[in-house]
Amino acid sequence: MSHEKRTLEFYVLAAFFALFVLFLYGPLSAILILSFQGETGGLTFPLNGVSLHWFANLFERQSVGDFGGSFKRSLVLGLMVMIVTVVVSLLAGLAFRRKFRGATALFYLAVASLVVPSIIISLGIGVVFQQVGLRPAWYTSAFGAHLTWTLPFGVLIMFAVFNRFSPAYEEAARDLGATSWQTFVHVVLPMIAPSLIGVGLFGFTLSYDEFARTLMTSGTFNTLPLEIYGMTTNVTTPVLYALGTVTTVFSFLVILATLGAILYVGRRRARA
Amino acid sequence: MTVALERPTIAASPTGRRRRFSLGAVTPYLQSAPLALILGAFLLLPIIMIVVVSFWDYDFAAMYPDFLTTNYSDVLGSWVTWKTYLNTIKFAAIVWALTLFIGFWVAYFLAFHIRTTAMQMVLFLVCTVPFLTSNIIRMISWIPVLGRNGLINSTLVHMGLVPKPIEWLLYSEFAVVLAMVHLYTLFMVTPIFNTLMRIDRSLVEAARDAGASGWQVLWNVIIPLAKPGMAIGTIFVVTLVMADFSTVQVMSGGQSASVALMMKNQMSLLQYPAAAANAVVLLVLVLLMVAGILRIVDIRREL
Amino acid sequence: MTDTMQPKQNKTGISRRSLLKTGAAAVGFAAGSGVITGFPTIWAQSNITLRQFGTGVSNLNAIADKCKADLGITLEMTATDSDAAAQRAVTQPDSYDIADIEYWICKKVFPTGVLQPMDVSKLKYYDELVPLFKTGKLTPDSVIAQGTAPHTVGYVEAQDSKTFAKAPTNWFTMVPTIYNADTLGIRPDLVGRDITTWADIMDPAFKGKTAILNIPSIGIMDAAMIMEAMGNIKYADKGNMTKDEIDKTIDFLIKAKQGGQFRAFWKSFDESVNLMASGEVVIQSMWSPAVAAVRSKGIPCRFQPLKEGYRSWGGGLGLAAHLKGAELDAAYEYINWYTSGWVGGYLNRQGYYSANMVSAKKFMTEDEWGYWIEGKPAKGEIKAPDGTVMEKAGAVRDGGSFEERMGKVACWNSVMDEDRYMVKRWNEFIAA
Repeated sequence: MSHEKRTLEFYVLAAFFALFVLFLYGPLSAILILSFQGETGGLTFPLNGVSLHWFANLFERQSVGDFGGSFKRSLVLGLMVMIVTVVVSLLAGLAFRRKFRGATALFYLAVASLVVPSIIISLGIGVVFQQVGLRPAWYTSAFGAHLTWTLPFGVLIMFAVFNRFSPAYEEAARDLGATSWQTFVHVVLPMIAPSLIGVGLFGFTLSYDEFARTLMTSGTFNTLPLEIYGMTTNVTTPVLYALGTVTTVFSFLVILATLGAILYVGRRRARA
Repeated sequence: MTVALERPTIAASPTGRRRRFSLGAVTPYLQSAPLALILGAFLLLPIIMIVVVSFWDYDFAAMYPDFLTTNYSDVLGSWVTWKTYLNTIKFAAIVWALTLFIGFWVAYFLAFHIRTTAMQMVLFLVCTVPFLTSNIIRMISWIPVLGRNGLINSTLVHMGLVPKPIEWLLYSEFAVVLAMVHLYTLFMVTPIFNTLMRIDRSLVEAARDAGASGWQVLWNVIIPLAKPGMAIGTIFVVTLVMADFSTVQVMSGGQSASVALMMKNQMSLLQYPAAAANAVVLLVLVLLMVAGILRIVDIRREL
Repeated sequence: MTDTMQPKQNKTGISRRSLLKTGAAAVGFAAGSGVITGFPTIWAQSNITLRQFGTGVSNLNAIADKCKADLGITLEMTATDSDAAAQRAVTQPDSYDIADIEYWICKKVFPTGVLQPMDVSKLKYYDELVPLFKTGKLTPDSVIAQGTAPHTVGYVEAQDSKTFAKAPTNWFTMVPTIYNADTLGIRPDLVGRDITTWADIMDPAFKGKTAILNIPSIGIMDAAMIMEAMGNIKYADKGNMTKDEIDKTIDFLIKAKQGGQFRAFWKSFDESVNLMASGEVVIQSMWSPAVAAVRSKGIPCRFQPLKEGYRSWGGGLGLAAHLKGAELDAAYEYINWYTSGWVGGYLNRQGYYSANMVSAKKFMTEDEWGYWIEGKPAKGEIKAPDGTVMEKAGAVRDGGSFEERMGKVACWNSVMDEDRYMVKRWNEFIAA
């Protein structure tokens, strides 16, 4: 590690970064404060007292909508999307290491998938399902709609990874007599694991928060973003903010736990 | 690239040569099949459907399979469309410039000034956490932040900096741009950070040793090498802004137009062929923009 | 959407549902023979499930709970915004059994064939329904309001017909459930003067502090009420404007928008509440329960009756075209239960109106009935269905009694024949 002195540039950029983080968390601060809104308070200032009422309310039955069910659906859908995104983009990444017919077309199709406005995909998939006579549902049509959004991200990342991936390691493994499966599992996979985790996280986050693509593809039941949106057609309460606060705190915990695990594994590996 | 390097290995094991070779030829097809299938079913097919519907006729209550170009002449022939597209492109340009500027410096700071990987990861994740809170909730929370009696205005008034609340903080184009920058900067930071991390530090050292100033290093070494990341970030941001309807609607208080919003208004009265024609025009425009970006930076090669 | 988009009889869901159907049919037959009065909880053993969607206004969990308790039918409710509701109704007809939509959009949804008309003779409480939904008249001598009045899209000619009938027939498109009359909501503490007409929203004093609805077909009605109140124009039918009238109305809106008269346009219930509660807006087009929601936060807000009358809307339940057999029977059973009073009382207590007032009355206390429906001062505290106090003793409902409010409807939310042109111009207004 280099120990050069911190330059002026560092302090200027650090301040800039701090401002950026402040900007990112600005609206969250309102969510945080207002989630402690008193029992009679609303979604905007002023605060009508301070209470934990809305956190308790989060786990109660709402007058409209269903947090539990929609959260479960979004979570499962997010995980499904995450797994499929990781596997499919890894495979595609491997495929793109060699030349094959249609590679360029497929690449541009993936890019197109990224740029097609989400509301168009949503409308299109909804209509196709209806025409084919399939019943749209969050785990079929919405699942596919989300994949058209997360896969290009995954493919682009894997593309970047394998473009810089030196085949020397694989050759070395093969020279030592490893089968191609062994080479893949013991050499390639550990090296690209961080990127795969990145792809997975990206996939989950994008799916979990996706609104427009789910709008016309969700079938009978709503995912969480749709449910929240549906709830705004009746009296909404600071329980939404409580949900926001809990989500944020929970994501922090998950991230901390992941970091801890990575550090722990890293240290053990370093010792071994 | 790898193909050339793998051949000798295969040749070196003559026993498995033929089997391996034929397997090797099929492998990329098998590996890329899932991607091709998913995109075919959930991207190509729906888009074909949209294109087909965009030529249909419709009246008050129904649509009729047909081959009409009136939907397109309606879309392209009206000044509203042009004005709305201009407005959307304006948003895209402003948001792009801002996110590129912010995104580059944030990524640069993370990549070149933070020394440990762990710290880089922590700071990067700190930037991603807000995105896990539902966008709709975050959108609602802009009112108590930017509104007349919101956090910012009440602070400013309280400190005596302004005599009365600033109106244009919310329900204005400013608010739309602010919310979009807030939503989309991360899409710029991530790819730029990615490319910056892969710049060989010895290049920077070499430039410095050759007497280049910090500014020159940045301008002549780092930025050119960061271009692919910027290109990808640009694609993300531009397409997201072009297709946005909820941010524009909520943050402008419904007073600003965007192409997707125009489509949504048509869809709300079940005028699907009109919306589809609009969608096709938008799609073509966005694809052209991306093709332009790809012409400038070949992300496939430089990624 | 014509032939191509009609619901295909789904082949995928057969296994579970057809099993249920046979089971339910057997039970239904057994029970149907004996039970005459009340609601037999015969569905309890069959685990029949009905999927309903609609806006959060009426897709209340309390209704699903009570339905399960009374009928044994599991009601799976999905709340959406009003745009999404219309989309779902038309593009995903397999995804629901019961559609809870508004009458104005029914005018577009029903002709697509995704809903089946219901047999009036199977509707137990048909005779008790408010005549507003049958003839368009609240009382025999009232004038039929302009716009897409529910009765104009309330009936079709025959079971397989998609054309709306001019007069009541035996085939009901939707059973009316919920409706109300909208007007301007004001912050009495901030407007500083009496508000008497829709035109007051254009008062320069309120520049930058007003709002109207952002759903094109409803927003233009708000504008029409304002235009007429200002004496700018006299519409033949506000709910069905000519191109020329649309032009005049939109031009007027564009001018007002460019002059900075509006702070925002709201789309969801919640937005209207937040705009008012946060002080962003002091006068806006609003719903009665939204006013109540603002007031329940301790912020003064009034649902202001105006001399031109109200802009009204109504919603109902429609049967999905794919329903048949036991499921269809269950759906009728559910609809009959819906109109049998409990739900009506529940909706009335929220500030909406039930389509069956006769039965709803039985489920309300005398004081509640007096306050909500008769416009009398409350004798005790008026509580919301969840138990929170909405009004103290002595309070009188803004706008008065049911007859006073619903008798003064100037127009209904509508879709116009020129809706293509209207949306085009509306987009222009937003872009301006």
